[in-house]
Amino acid sequence: MPKVKIPRKSTSVDMTAMCDVAFLLLTFFILTTKFRPQEAVTIDIPSSTAQIPIPEKDIMMFQIAPDGRLFFGLDDQNTRLKLLERLSTTYELTLTQDQKDAFRLIETWGMDIRSLPDFLKMDPTARGAFNQPGLNIDTTGGQHQVEDLILFSRQENNNLRIAIKGDKTTEYRHFDKLIQALQNRKVNKFNLITSAKTAQE
Amino acid sequence: MAEMQTSDSGSHKKGSKKVRTKKMSTRVDLTAMVDLGFLLITFFMLATTMNKPKTMEVNKPAKEEEKVKEPPIKMSKTATLMLGARNKIYAYVSPDEIEAGTEITMDSIDYSPSGLRKFIQRRQKEVKEQWGNQDDLFVMIKPLPASNVKNIVDVLDEMTINDVKRYAILEPNDPIDSLIALQTGQSRK
Repeated sequence: MPKVKIPRKSTSVDMTAMCDVAFLLLTFFILTTKFRPQEAVTIDIPSSTAQIPIPEKDIMMFQIAPDGRLFFGLDDQNTRLKLLERLSTTYELTLTQDQKDAFRLIETWGMDIRSLPDFLKMDPTARGAFNQPGLNIDTTGGQHQVEDLILFSRQENNNLRIAIKGDKTTEYRHFDKLIQALQNRKVNKFNLITSAKTAQE
Repeated sequence: MAEMQTSDSGSHKKGSKKVRTKKMSTRVDLTAMVDLGFLLITFFMLATTMNKPKTMEVNKPAKEEEKVKEPPIKMSKTATLMLGARNKIYAYVSPDEIEAGTEITMDSIDYSPSGLRKFIQRRQKEVKEQWGNQDDLFVMIKPLPASNVKNIVDVLDEMTINDVKRYAILEPNDPIDSLIALQTGQSRK
């Protein structure tokens, strides 16, 4: 009896369509990705039903860590440079071009303004590992560093909107200090950053 | 697959048959390319931050010195929420006139729908009965230092959910506030 021969079929499949789909998706994701900027501190934001998205540009961002440390950030690199100019004249900082370039690229920072030059002197990895002490917001001692930051930034770019990103567990007294500083500069309107949530019934 | 067609040496005789180039398949093995494509897709998908954070607009009343004198609001149109530590809210309603025998009831509520939301809705109903319009309700939010940012966001959120038209974040500087803070063991400053 002759053996029944099963015809051999090729195992290779046409990959063209799959390849097309894969690269189409790839292109989509590459174009839509916006990398998360390196943050000085991780902040777990509270959720709310607010639906207003954050404006794309012209943001002055204050971040408050759970332990009350305050960080500052501007989104626009040119405004950052202008702000640094103003700060260096007011606080008599001497900065090299390298330090200025470093400042231009820092998303958020928080320390006494007078210790900025030392911080900018570090190399980028050391700067990332450095535990920043937070802005000097002692409003009682005649120091107006936060007020100055608000004033100078707004003078350099008067479309700036002020956003406050506070951790869920940040105590109100830290938050209040910042609001005092803002109100001293006649800022009565600001945005709290929250993540989206649906209203529970 | 990728071999050069090397012409045979010395085979160029006149009148010989046409040199035929070997027909090669145009199919290329795409498996590796697809692998790479999906690998990159996975990477970008994981790196993408999907939901953009939202913002909540807050308007603070201007500081005392520049404030235009407004007629005082009837206390019976108000509700006061004091935000304390450990996710507690102390809610009370001040009477219009404080006399010797006046008693103030203070509720200790939480942020759940059955706590804060119920209180606000009850107050809206009371104001509507007394003044004819529930939008007359004025909620005073007074965060104590030990409350946290989440509490404030939750309260402001609740104002939006319940459609409270008028509310403000204020300092707890009323004598009643001090009394309540003292009673509940919350630090006021």
